[in-house]
Parts: sequence; C-alpha cells; structure tokens
Amino acid sequence: MNGLLKKQFGLVLMMMLLALLMYACAPDEAPVDDGGSSDEEESSDDEGSSDESSDGEISGELEIQYFVGGYGDSWWKEVISDFEEEYPDVNVTQHAGPTINEEMRSRWVSGDPPDVVYIDGAGSSETQMVEDDQLMNLTEWAEGIELEDGSKLVDSFIAEPSDYDGELYSLPLVFDAWGTWYDMNRFEENGYEVPQGFDSFMSTMGDIQENEDISPFVTTGQHPYYFSRGMLYPAFAAHGGNELLADIVQGAEGAWETDEAVEVMNNVEEMVDAGYVDSGLGALNHTQSQMNFLLGDNAFIPVGFWLPNEMEGDKPEDLQYGFIPSPMNPEGEPMAIVPDLRPLAIAEEAENPEAAKAFVEFVFTREYAELFSEHTGAIMNLEGVDLANNENVPEYLIQANEMINDPEQVEIFYKPHPMSADLETPISDSLVSLLLGNLTAEEFIQEAEEAAAEYREGN
Amino acid sequence: MVQTKKQKYLFLAFCLVPTFIMFSIFTLYPLFSGLYFSFFEWSGTSQTREFVGFDNYIRLFNDEIIPDTVWHDYFLVATKVIGIMVMALFIAVALTQLKIKEAPFYRIVFFFPNIMSVVVIGILWMFIYNPNLGLVNSGLEMIGLEEWTRPWLGSETWALPSLVLPSIWAGIGLFMLLLMGGISNISKSYYEAAKIDGANEWQQFWKVTLPLIWPQIKISILYIVITTLNGSFIIVQVMTGGGPNNSTHVMGSYLYQQAFTQYNFGYGATIGVMILVLSLITVVLLQLLLRRDRVEY
Repeated sequence: MNGLLKKQFGLVLMMMLLALLMYACAPDEAPVDDGGSSDEEESSDDEGSSDESSDGEISGELEIQYFVGGYGDSWWKEVISDFEEEYPDVNVTQHAGPTINEEMRSRWVSGDPPDVVYIDGAGSSETQMVEDDQLMNLTEWAEGIELEDGSKLVDSFIAEPSDYDGELYSLPLVFDAWGTWYDMNRFEENGYEVPQGFDSFMSTMGDIQENEDISPFVTTGQHPYYFSRGMLYPAFAAHGGNELLADIVQGAEGAWETDEAVEVMNNVEEMVDAGYVDSGLGALNHTQSQMNFLLGDNAFIPVGFWLPNEMEGDKPEDLQYGFIPSPMNPEGEPMAIVPDLRPLAIAEEAENPEAAKAFVEFVFTREYAELFSEHTGAIMNLEGVDLANNENVPEYLIQANEMINDPEQVEIFYKPHPMSADLETPISDSLVSLLLGNLTAEEFIQEAEEAAAEYREGN
Repeated sequence: MVQTKKQKYLFLAFCLVPTFIMFSIFTLYPLFSGLYFSFFEWSGTSQTREFVGFDNYIRLFNDEIIPDTVWHDYFLVATKVIGIMVMALFIAVALTQLKIKEAPFYRIVFFFPNIMSVVVIGILWMFIYNPNLGLVNSGLEMIGLEEWTRPWLGSETWALPSLVLPSIWAGIGLFMLLLMGGISNISKSYYEAAKIDGANEWQQFWKVTLPLIWPQIKISILYIVITTLNGSFIIVQVMTGGGPNNSTHVMGSYLYQQAFTQYNFGYGATIGVMILVLSLITVVLLQLLLRRDRVEY
C-alpha cells in the first residue's frame, strides 16, 4: 500500500513536470514566422469605435512611453498636461523613466504596446522597431500635419526623418547634434585657438598638451559609438558627403576602404600617435568621461546637447560651455554636423491610434519647440524657432543654433537611419583598440570591413 | 496519536508540492524556454520570431568572441578559486588557531564585503582603479613606482586581471566563516596528540586541519566555480561592460550584450544553453577531481 501511494505520488509529480515541459516548449500565442509568410494579421484600422465619441471628439485612454535622460522630463510633463486640457476626454497614462525601455519591453513583446513612444536611450532602437514591424507607417498621415502658421510639418523639419525605403515610421522630435565641447573661459585665459578644421584642431591640442601636460581629448571607451557618432560621422560627411555616410551606416562593401574614409581614419591614428587621446578612456563610462572634461583633465569631449543639462550640479563655476561641430573637416571648408534624431512614433498595434495621432500633432508646434529649448537646453527638430530673443535659452544653444543655420560655417549632413547595433558593436570594439593605440588605422579599416561583410551576410 | 498513512502523505504533499511548483515556475520553465528560444531568430522585443533550427548553434561555433569569453570565465574561476581559498583558509586558521584577541572584530571586517551588493563593490573598485584619482595609481606613485601606473580597467591587457582582486575581496568572508566552522569542530585532542608526536604547526595544518575540513573546502570550491560561471557577469557589466574591445567579456556579459544590446535574443539564449552545458560539465569534473575518502581519526 505504502509503495503504491509512493508510486502514485511520483506519477503525479512526473505528470506535472511533463505538463510544464510541454507548456514551456509549446509556441506562445505570438505569431511564429516560419519561413517568411505574412504576419500582418492585424491592421491598424480599428480606430473610431470607442475612441471617438459620437461628435468625432477624441477620447479614451492614451498611453505614452518616453525615456528620461539628460534632458529631464519637465517638458514632457508640461506638454502632456496641456494636451489633457485641450482634450479633456482623453485620459493620458505616462510611462517614463531612465529605464523605461527595459520596463516596457514585455508590453511590446506581448503585443500590447503603449500608443505613443519617444524612442531614445539605452534599450531602444528605431531601426530594430521598424524591422520588427512595431511602428505605424506614417507616410501618408504625416503629409497632412500642419504647424500653427499653416506650413506643412514635413517641410519644416531641420533634419529629415529616417527613411526606410521611402516609408516614414517616425517623426524626428529632438534634433540632437553631436559636436565637440570645450571650456570657453579656459581657451580665453590660455589663448588657445578654437579649431575650425582638422589642422587647427591638431595644433590647438598640441598647445594644450604642451601647456597643461594633459591629453586634450577624451571620450567614453565603454560606449565607443560616442566617438563614431560624435567624430567619425561628421568627418565622413565632411570628406565624402551624404553618400559616404550612407554607405558606412548601411555597411556597404568597400565603404571603409574609400580614399576619404582612409584619410579620416589616418587622421584619428595621428591624434592617437601624438598622445592627444586620453589613454585611460577605455575604462571611462558616460558620466566619468564627462566628469573628466568638467574637472579639466581633458579639454575636448564629443557628446550631444545633453551635456550642460545633465551635469548641471557638477559644473565648476568658472567653466563656460562652448560647442563646435567636431573639427574633423579639411581646414577652410565648412564644418559638418550629422544630427542624431530622437523620434516620436506611434505603435502599429496602438489601441487608441486617433488619440495617439492627436498627441503627435499637438506636440509638433514652434511654441513647444521654444519651450523645449528652455527646459532642456537642446533643440527640437523644427525650423524657424526664434531662440535668439529668448532669455531663458542658454547662450551656447543660441550660438549653436545660429551656427547650424549658417550654411557658410556649417553644413548639415544626413544619415539615412541609425546604424544597426549588429554593425555598430563590432566596429565600436575595434575602434576602442584604435583609440588605445593597439590597432593601426589600416588594421582598423580591415576589421571594420570584415564587420560590415558579416553584417551584410546576416541580413 | 497515530498518524494515518493518508495524513502522512498529505503532509508530504504539503511540504513538497508548493516547492516543486515554485521550482518548476522559476527554474524549470525558464530553463526549457531558454532552450526553446535558442532555435529562433528573435529580437526579443517583438512578437515575430522565425524558427531557424540549429543556425544559432552554428553561429556560436563560428563566433570568434565566444572562445575568448569562455577563456575569460575560466580565468576568473581559476584565479578566484585559488585566491579566495588560500586567503579564506589562511584567515580562518589564523582566527581560530592563533588565539588572537581581536578575532571577532576581524571576522566582521572580513565578512563585511559579503553584505554589500556586487554592484556597489564594482563601483567602489572602479574608483579605486581610476587612472587619475584612484587609490591604486596614487599608491604606486607614492612609493615611487610611477612607471607601473596604468589605466587598469582601460587596458586591453590589464582589465581582466584587474577584475580578479575585487572578486576575491568580495568572496573571502563567506568562505572564511564556512571554514572556521569546520575548524572549530575539530577536537583539540587531535592537535594535542600531534604536538606530543612532535608535529610542528605547519605539519598540524597539513595532516590534521586540512583533511578534516576537506568537505567544507570541496563545497567552497564548487560554490565558487558555480557562482563565478553564473554570476561573474555582474562585476564585468558594472566595471567594464565587457570592454575594452571585448577583453573582459565573460559568457554571461556577452549573452546580455547579444540579447539586449544587439537584439539577438535567440542567439543570447543559445549562449545561455552553452553556459548551462559548460557549468554542468565543470561541476561533474570537479566532483570527480575533488573526490576523497572521508577522513576520521
């Protein structure tokens, strides 16, 4: 009897284990694409019913996901509160924070995403979201959006939206321009020349090194793509234009071996060989590299417009931010800026697409663009915003804005879309080695070409 | 009162079933779903995934970074086992045998890192290794060894060895306590007998202490190996993020990078399967290697 009961108990345990195993190994409800069949099982045309009340008013729940990083969240809070006032029938739920991309991942995976998403920060990738069919195609709808003065939104962007084979899946909200920061007071005191091109960059770095016995240039080695986006992209743009930039970003064959790319990489090697690049950068993370700059251990750092806002509490009193497009251009030619856009998009499976569209349309106004600069010290991607007469906007931003709008000084170039993480990661790895002096430019180019070849193979 | 058989089995079920259900949900289910996902190409962020058979496994064998990550993991395993065991044993013997008055104080001091989160330890040691402000470089400069200073975590050669020190520092306390427990269970009469036979302290350690605490040593080694293979990821992720140029990536951190930074969740799951297989093989081998007859005097 005892043995029988034991057996039965064991049997029950076994069955439970088996049931669990079968459940674990069974496909989820998610559509499994096993060979390229169509997976567009749900169209986004389910709008209208409960989200629009009988008089056509927009109503219902609206979920907005936004990353909070160096720019803070005060602008978002103000805009959303204004939106709620304008659309009292809409109940907005905000999902925000510095790790919101990770926190919301399970919602995206389970097919229950928020309606509107601001794509920025670690753990988010616009390219990946487009590849995964997670974003609504906005091509036709965006054509109809107008600004306060009746001008078309699509004609009023400073930088063009990402282009995926002619289709539009996101609207670029933040115009983040990577450039090189320096301390204006320090330069004035020591009589350093603000560089205008690669030759003057080298000579200024030489002066700083000689005068202060430091390595003038720093970047974060833990995120080497800062150097790519902050220095290399503008350099490629200045030397080879949008075409070379597109080839590099898309991993085209031979892009790194073109004369222009080789010249750029040789310039980088020259910086390293001269000892101008901080040899400790390999260990520095985002904040540490920025702290190094603030503490005066280095004189140049290539990052985006977030720097002053993010490091506000740590800024030494006598430091005055100066911003220039990264001086990797041939001397005497216009400097190059390659904007890094942070877009706003609507989920393909948004539950309330009408309210989502209303929100996106609501956000893109020159009034909010000006407010954005006041709150964040950065620029929203709209032309014709008057920052010069706004005393709440920091000085460096007014100067940068003027520079960006002066084609004789600065030329703006565009990459078609952000580089895929699968291509950017191996190139970044080799880039650290180059910056630490463990690879020559030639070896780096070879490794970058191999990474591009592997990327093409995998796509 | 005599318990009926039914009551007995009810009680058994009461003890076992909840645990088994928990174990199934939190251990078996992730294990099998990990295995399942390793056969898919999936970004980990969307609903669509494509069945690719053994493609991820083929990729695993062709990935040039994988052998490096395995080597880095076993480098950490070996250095940590040696470092922690030698130090923990040394301190445990000192605190139990040498009759130091301040023993309780030292016990707390050495155990202290164990109550700190690994993330805190990682950040703390990042400051210690900081090339400009850090304790290590300043210390070297102070004693006139300026040419030895270097950006420890930023060097492709030195970053991995630099991770060993904090890992050992963080690990000593727990094993010290475990071994101290073992040592204090040894009857004093063995040492007295050894002394009468003319054994010096060193001989007493090798012939009495070590054989009698072998079970604790074995458990400690196994525990260090398993936690290193599964958990070295944290310290790597915090201190170097796998860089510079993959020179500190361990299997776990590379899994994380593939699954969550490069959006290759399926491939990440495949790396997870590799970690499982390697951990199992290592533990089985260690069980064989460390097998010794139980010593009783």
